Amino acid sequence: MINTLYSLDALGTNRAFFLAALIGFGFGFALERAGFSSSRRLAGVFYFTDMAVVKVMFSAVITALLGLSYLVGLGWMRMDQIFLMPTIYGAQIVGGLLFGVGFVMGAWCPGTAAAGLAAGRIDALVFLLGTVGGSILFNEVFPLVRPLYTAGDQGTQMAYLSLGLSRNAFVLTFTLVAVAAFWLSERTEKARTGRAPYLGSPFLKAFSLILVALACGLFVLSPVSTRASVQPANTAAATAVDEKALMETVENARDHIEPEELADRLMAGEPDLVVVDVRPAAEFNAFHIPGALNVPLAELAEALQPYKNKGLIVLYSNGMTHPAQARDSLQRLGFGHVYLLTDGLQGFRDRCLKPVSLRPEPLTPVDAARVNAWRTYFNASDGTPKVGIFAKVVTAALPRVVETDWLAARLGTPGLKVIDLRPQPEYNASHIPNSLSLNVESLRGNIGGVPSMLLPPAMLAAQFSLLGLHPSDTIVLVPSDKMHDATLPGLAFERMGHMDYAVLNGGYAKWAQEGRPVNAALPAVTESTCPVKTDADDFTVNFKTVAATIGKPGTVIIDVRPADFYTGKKSDEARGGHIPGALNRAFSEDVITSSNKVVTFKPTAELAAAYRQLIPSTNTEVIVHCRTGHQASQTFFVLKHLLGYPNVRWYDAGWTEWAARPELPVANETQALKNKK
Amino acid sequence: MKTEANPLHGGPKPYSNPYLTGVLLGLVLLASFVILGAGLGASSGIARIGASLSLCVATSHTLGSAYFGKWGANPLHYYLVFMFVGTFVGALFSALLANRARIQVERGAASSVRRRLWYALAGGVIVGFASRLAQGCTSGQALSGGALLLSGSLVFMVCLFASGYAAAWFVRRQWHD
Repeated sequence: MINTLYSLDALGTNRAFFLAALIGFGFGFALERAGFSSSRRLAGVFYFTDMAVVKVMFSAVITALLGLSYLVGLGWMRMDQIFLMPTIYGAQIVGGLLFGVGFVMGAWCPGTAAAGLAAGRIDALVFLLGTVGGSILFNEVFPLVRPLYTAGDQGTQMAYLSLGLSRNAFVLTFTLVAVAAFWLSERTEKARTGRAPYLGSPFLKAFSLILVALACGLFVLSPVSTRASVQPANTAAATAVDEKALMETVENARDHIEPEELADRLMAGEPDLVVVDVRPAAEFNAFHIPGALNVPLAELAEALQPYKNKGLIVLYSNGMTHPAQARDSLQRLGFGHVYLLTDGLQGFRDRCLKPVSLRPEPLTPVDAARVNAWRTYFNASDGTPKVGIFAKVVTAALPRVVETDWLAARLGTPGLKVIDLRPQPEYNASHIPNSLSLNVESLRGNIGGVPSMLLPPAMLAAQFSLLGLHPSDTIVLVPSDKMHDATLPGLAFERMGHMDYAVLNGGYAKWAQEGRPVNAALPAVTESTCPVKTDADDFTVNFKTVAATIGKPGTVIIDVRPADFYTGKKSDEARGGHIPGALNRAFSEDVITSSNKVVTFKPTAELAAAYRQLIPSTNTEVIVHCRTGHQASQTFFVLKHLLGYPNVRWYDAGWTEWAARPELPVANETQALKNKK
Repeated sequence: MKTEANPLHGGPKPYSNPYLTGVLLGLVLLASFVILGAGLGASSGIARIGASLSLCVATSHTLGSAYFGKWGANPLHYYLVFMFVGTFVGALFSALLANRARIQVERGAASSVRRRLWYALAGGVIVGFASRLAQGCTSGQALSGGALLLSGSLVFMVCLFASGYAAAWFVRRQWHD
């Protein structure tokens, strides 16, 4: 089986860049060989003087189509290892119509213009400059065209399924259309120019015959190809009444569960949720949804007997036909609440696990955060693709807050790195053995005039490299009596896409107080090379996003500064007060300080109850901020990782920036009261 | 797929057999599917160049924008940007090999350079915009998506040719000899 870089999630690596450039080389070479470095030749197709575009394009499409069909038919690769673009009818119809006009005007398209530029065509250069401009224009007006951009979104849709044909039948039809187009093109050229060297030539006859023969060969290779229609289930044993109920369920699509919903329910740890993978064991072992049971179709009813009518049962496979049959069969046997996963495993991978950076459509920060949460959760717990020692250190997903017992049991495990965030003199005096000292302030700097901003990924990567950290490491952050000294570095790791980190509850104080091992030796560090990930941070927002959020339904802004700063009674910034509509809950209310300066998070139940008062629903978009982003990192951590709110974002620049920008609105009750007097 | 003409011969060589060149292009596309797990693409690379220009001029505006913003501070760090550069180099190699590289504005003899370049610029702007809207161009949607039998890509291809033929008459004068 071939593994594509896409299926390995490695399209962002240097290796992929090199291979893409190499494939691009072949692409450019072929385009130029075809004469597509000439705008006149390209335009010829629209005036019936030179049909090379049709001949080359159809030959290429059919070659790749047949090649791919054979590779899949021989079992050497699977279609789900290729990135399949979504079908969005509105965008693609309007985009196609516009594109045609631009194509005939400019007589170039993006790929051929690159070839034209290489062949010295100045009109290609001008066209490319226009294309760059058109892309920028699109970005500028994107908010306006967004409805069209998503209009008629069907997800991944195969044309043969839309037409109710088998794949093989469609491929053969497509091939015949292409061959007909070749002959028509030759005839057209003959009629318009008097020259058609290939018309009726032995070459074109042989070429046409080979393509059609190869398309027919697919029927021999894989006679049972994917059918569009679901096989009718065996209805012999069912009573008419049961059948009616069944069909109603199917009709109302009550028998489906969407991948996003399943992911959220699994992450929430819903009890009595049974996920069943009905694929062969080999496929299950290669990849499955974490926590799923692998049950062959034949043994389904027996194996699921213990779960009958207890909670939800979700069935999935690669496609939907087999689970659909199984579901119907289970319902006939009296199983209630059996669902199939919409779009099967492929849908789950595409909609939940595909990295944000590889998605063709930009996600809102909220959706991106959801995707990253799923990726973190499911990729961390399936055990297979993880490199390094992660699986040895933690068996399940890493808890975000770890207790001293947890750390003591794992101290010294390779790949477990402890980072001490206390001031250096305290670290020098004594620390957890082998822990690394890190000054929180070294993670922040002035960005664009705003002080105390979390540094960009490249600078964080440089620092983490000096600390000898690796992407596969599990990080435990040890604060002093300020929990936010650990949560801010936590966000630095998240910005790097490094989600395997946890905060030590109670910090160093609790560790020392419990008499656990400490020493004063400096750890041996070998410098590493942390990769720079620039697309992992989907949680940081700027003032524009915050300004756009004010008063928007389904959103909450939480100002985590002490109440006096929120009301404007105290101010150490350009202006006092708060963002209009923002709620106030000081970060300090989320922790308990016991005697001996041991600071721990409040019990989760207590935190959950408190935030339920502020945040109307789980899906509410929450933005947290403070003065510099430091304290708000703690509230972010609490909401996102302890309470599981999926849509939490962090306004790093905070009140420092907001107060200093006079164009931004401020609510100040204290000032208002004074003015009244 | 070499042309038969003598390499020492002075003039540009004739183009290769379009069908066999199509097969070569199809094999490159197949290699892209098998190795990368994604098809060919050109407009995405150009759009990312646009995003990085936009970042140079207005950094915070671009990072905060709804479309380019998602590509982050380094939009060029993407496989299709490298593919676009490769396309240029591959074509240059072929053009030099066939003695076809010549600096010129391609147009009909009776058409002015100015008209041709204005058409090329306007066409470029429309194509740049349309490619973002449709999430791909002739390479990414028509060619790659077509070979994958995706409904949207095939619809895109049909619409592209339909409107191209409909508009051809209006812009024909750039090719008049």
